[in-house]
Amino acid sequence: MKMKKVMALALAGVMALSIAACGGGSSASTSSGSGSADAGSADAGSAASGALTINIWDANQQAGIQEICNDWTALGNPEVKVEVIDWDNYWTLLEAGASGGQLADVFWMHSDYAQIYMENDILLDLTDYIAKDGVDMSIYYPDIAAIYTRSDGKIFALPKDHDTIALLYNKALFDQAGVAYPTDEWSYQDMYEAAKAITEGTPDDVYGYALNTSNDQDGWYNYIYSYGGNVVNTEKTDTALDSAESKAAMEQVRLMLTVATPQAIVAESGTDSLFQSGKVAMITQGSWMINSFYTAENSKDYAWAEIPYFDRNGDGACQKDERWTCYNGLGWAAAANTANPDAAASLIEYLCSKDAQIKQAQLGVTMAGIPGISEDFANAFEGMDVSAFTKVEENGTLYARPGTRNSGKWQTPMKQAGYFLDAWQAPENPQAMSDACDKVAKLIRDCIAEEQ
Amino acid sequence: MKEKKKMTPREKNEAIWGLAFVAPTMIGLIVLNFYPAINTVYQSFCKTGDFGKGNTFVGLANYSKAFADPEIWQSLINTVKYAIIEVPLGVVIALLLAVFLNGKIKGVSIFRTIFFLPMVCAPAAVAMVWKWLYNQQFGLFNNILHTNIAWISDPKIAWISVGVIGVWSIIGYNMVLFISGLKEIPGDYYEAASIDGATGINQFFNITVPLLSPTTFFIVQTRVIGALTIFDLMFMVMDKTNAALPKVQSTVYVFYKYTFDQGNKGYGAAIVMILVAFIMVVTVIMQRAEKRFVFYN
Repeated sequence: MKMKKVMALALAGVMALSIAACGGGSSASTSSGSGSADAGSADAGSAASGALTINIWDANQQAGIQEICNDWTALGNPEVKVEVIDWDNYWTLLEAGASGGQLADVFWMHSDYAQIYMENDILLDLTDYIAKDGVDMSIYYPDIAAIYTRSDGKIFALPKDHDTIALLYNKALFDQAGVAYPTDEWSYQDMYEAAKAITEGTPDDVYGYALNTSNDQDGWYNYIYSYGGNVVNTEKTDTALDSAESKAAMEQVRLMLTVATPQAIVAESGTDSLFQSGKVAMITQGSWMINSFYTAENSKDYAWAEIPYFDRNGDGACQKDERWTCYNGLGWAAAANTANPDAAASLIEYLCSKDAQIKQAQLGVTMAGIPGISEDFANAFEGMDVSAFTKVEENGTLYARPGTRNSGKWQTPMKQAGYFLDAWQAPENPQAMSDACDKVAKLIRDCIAEEQ
Repeated sequence: MKEKKKMTPREKNEAIWGLAFVAPTMIGLIVLNFYPAINTVYQSFCKTGDFGKGNTFVGLANYSKAFADPEIWQSLINTVKYAIIEVPLGVVIALLLAVFLNGKIKGVSIFRTIFFLPMVCAPAAVAMVWKWLYNQQFGLFNNILHTNIAWISDPKIAWISVGVIGVWSIIGYNMVLFISGLKEIPGDYYEAASIDGATGINQFFNITVPLLSPTTFFIVQTRVIGALTIFDLMFMVMDKTNAALPKVQSTVYVFYKYTFDQGNKGYGAAIVMILVAFIMVVTVIMQRAEKRFVFYN
């Protein structure tokens, strides 16, 4: 009998302990399954101290941002906790939080979704804080600041950064195939010839280039704009994806696909994994991914070159309007219903202040939302020359990432079967790519019409 | 005819306590199950606005669009194909395992634990591991068997690959239920049968299977409903740009796509209502089958 009592008490104790541990554990976890719920419970648990929660989607940036936030905390402000929710789930969770009312205090805003969030008053209006604290909006990239300004002039997020695209290549594979390294004077045709030579000059499972339908901003979008087409025009009223220029660009993409890794393999593994496994010699990537390649196992073999150009006027040299790179800028926004609007606004202003932006660049987190800080960023990666990202801003033209009010409606389907995926699966067939361009153009037009 | 009796104070007291104990579950059920279900039905008749604001009633527009959409019919076929792999294979293999693990062999509890372990693993973890097992370039299967099969990218076999994951995860659960059902069969039947000269296989088909039919029916019914609502396997194992996705995505996957990715909750609600109607039809058919195939003592 005594044994039973002891066992019963012990079991009850273990149960109580595990419930307490679970409660404590869940508020520290960063699993996507309960992102906004965690933010809620973390707030509830530390509401007394007024700690702020930040949601971001890029694990590469977490450490740097946490450091900058700690600087802000040291100035006599509440604690800040940075949580990462991966990109695929970030918007779903944010929307669930916005509908259910339980958002993180401060979070990243993206050009694809900014309009919807601003129009529905989900974000904290920062205009008054900016006026009161004397924040100078003119120091930021004007295009990026404009993304987060509502049509009535109110500002809902401050520019956090900007990014550009460059060409990443593996010197070891180039040496193996005996091909000369990419230069800053490469055209897309030069890239094709190098990719072809590498695909043929290396073992069967190694290719010169890899591109998936999902590599839009960092991949095929740039071809289209270099050739003179567009994905969505700047007024967001129409697309030129079925124009002759865009189709010529996608035809060049098709040519690249004939010497690139088959789409089935890329869909399963991803271009980044394939590159880091030494199966692909060249990919184009964005400046937000530099850290992942800088810290990779074989990073001494990796190098960056400027994104190629398309020689539109045939003069053999690159003019500024022949080299295009997509650029995008995230914004720091706060929830309209946050418990600490003053603290949240103050944190956002700090994160976007010149000093914090310089520190962000120096830590190699991303390139600043303020022009003129590129040097600090370029120097952040010792041993890896990342100047390709900043040189393109002088040598080329930047275009804002194309989007409409509800970009999700066309951005995912266009990469799947029935649209561009069919063309990717049949790279030997030029007609397939041309048909895909027509279909996606129609998709985008239908989505724009629905939004009116 | 009995006249309605007033409850004695004791009966009233018991009734109140009964309600009090049932209340937590009832409240949870109503708030978390009934209310959302009714809300979903309502939303299926609406064109929903952003973030749940501004729903406009549109009648049957979502349903007519859903019925005309070949993607949704294909997803229903995919879901049924998945159920056809998971349910029979899961039941048969689990039954065989249960019969073997019911006897007196050494280390029987270790075996039972091993077979039950997949149930303990988080579905996301299971999907991640299988995704890399199936990977065409780096996966274990292709590297051990020296083949180059596109397990999850070939539209012809991707659905089988996903079904295999489903079978693997559910065998343990089915097996445990079968073992408990087997324990209820009195040993006398087997003794009498072996005296009469019945072989092991004869005994299995003539004693075990009929007497196990209530358990089997329960497992088949719950697994069919579970298989028809499958989502996480396809979502985690197959990338959005996977060429085989249209031939593998389940109806709940399509529902997720429209409701969360594209923010069209009304359409998504209509899709899920169609699935509910389909499952109800299947359940009715199974109830009819119960009367014919299941033997209760």
